[in-house]
Amino acid sequence: MKLLELQGLTARYGAGDVLKGLDLHVDEGECVALLGSNGAGKSTTLRAISGLVPNLAGDIRLAGKSIKGLKSEAIVRLGVSHVPEGRRVFPGLTVRENIMLGASNRKGLRRAQMNAETDEMLGSFADLGRLQHALGWTLSGGQLQMVAVARGLMAKPRVLLLDEPSLGLAPLIVQQVFRIVADIRSRGTTVLLVEQNAHVALSVADRGYVLETGRLLVTGKPEELWSNPQVRAAYLGGLAA
Amino acid sequence: MGILLQLLFTGLGIGAIYALVALGFVLLIRAAGVVNFGQGEFAMLGAYLLVIFFNLLALPYWVAILLSIAIMAAFGVVFAGATYWPLRNRGGLPVIISTIGASIFLENMVLVLYGPAAEQVDGLFDAPGIQVGPVFMDSQYLSIMVIATLLVLLQYLIFEKTLLGKKLQATSQDKEMASLLGIPVAAMILITFAYSSAIGGIAGILIAPILFVSTGLASIIALKAFAANIIGGYGSIPGAILGGLALGVVETLGAAYISVPYKDAFAFLMLLAFLLIRPQGLFGEKISEKA
Repeated sequence: MKLLELQGLTARYGAGDVLKGLDLHVDEGECVALLGSNGAGKSTTLRAISGLVPNLAGDIRLAGKSIKGLKSEAIVRLGVSHVPEGRRVFPGLTVRENIMLGASNRKGLRRAQMNAETDEMLGSFADLGRLQHALGWTLSGGQLQMVAVARGLMAKPRVLLLDEPSLGLAPLIVQQVFRIVADIRSRGTTVLLVEQNAHVALSVADRGYVLETGRLLVTGKPEELWSNPQVRAAYLGGLAA
Repeated sequence: MGILLQLLFTGLGIGAIYALVALGFVLLIRAAGVVNFGQGEFAMLGAYLLVIFFNLLALPYWVAILLSIAIMAAFGVVFAGATYWPLRNRGGLPVIISTIGASIFLENMVLVLYGPAAEQVDGLFDAPGIQVGPVFMDSQYLSIMVIATLLVLLQYLIFEKTLLGKKLQATSQDKEMASLLGIPVAAMILITFAYSSAIGGIAGILIAPILFVSTGLASIIALKAFAANIIGGYGSIPGAILGGLALGVVETLGAAYISVPYKDAFAFLMLLAFLLIRPQGLFGEKISEKA
């Protein structure tokens, strides 16, 4: 079943179109990677889904219903949680407070329940429990990424949008982050993952889309993308699978 | 020594008013990125509402005060709708200009509706005050200090101990991220405007029995509170409080020991000294440009 679907999505920034009639879908429980070079429109796609891009044509559908034109606050309440590029952890709030605020989309959630779920989330990420009273600005890149993902999961999303989770992280930390992504996926959460590091992204994804200047270049399973020499040379760094 | 202590008491009382208005400034800077030059008008309107409800309509004093505060909170939302909302996506400067325009409009509106005559209102308590050692603690100054302290504590509890406070802080730190988490950013900003207007109004209500209530009240309080904000550190809550208190003490001591007519000049000299020597203020970060 198609949980998230983009139909002919066009996004305009200033004079030019950043996305040009993009079609893609993510099935329920699937992990889909969105790949491409800088400026291909990957992050804009996620921002458009989350209601952060005002000038859109085409449609964005969540479980068959259009969410295009809704405000970000409404979209996250419908179950789309966005972990943006740069982590965007609130610097003046503690790790615990940051994670707790991830549940802001869930109306009627009692404070005690929110606290219990925050404790559980802190416990499921190595190190975060011990860092729970640390302020956001004191964290390292890897720790910030963990907080951002944990905060995104507190929304209990139907779809998790992950934007460049490996950006600026050391290889060992990247492995750690992608183990978490694989774990999220194995628990049944649908994931749309934007990544420049195609190698790690396709290691966890069920399918991939490769974008080029706002257009879909090719789509397929990871092994199909790896076997496409044009794609491999231009967008996947020529790495062997 | 007795005189010095007396002056310190008076200075802290006046400084508490500056601190309250400066707190309103800081909250809006932090939540909405807005430097609101209408903050002094909030104090002026609060004082005039007290005059209307208590002097003219003869409502009981505390009813008049509560009604004035409630109206000021609602006014904050209207003010946000008029000055901030239509320009919120156009950067800081247009909003600043818009709040300056609104402050001129409000001052002149009151002048047209009420006339230039200054009004006086009664203090919170009938008793003149209490003598503590060499210091006579005037009841109105004492009320100002107690209420300002309670408001600062209340603000601390709201911001640090409640989920609403955390959402307000998150909104002030990164509005887009807050909206991605489902925090109603518009509501958070309107709440901040309402709160900011209410504490501005309270400052006006508190100072009304000490100073005559006139339209001139607005600009002088706004300028002092803005100076307090710079002295304390741009956008810093403890800085606004300490900056306001320091300003009140400096201008009171300056007036007593050097020159009464130059009372206001001491406050601005202090501001100039900070801008030259420590531009980031007492608690602020080093900045070259803000807002």
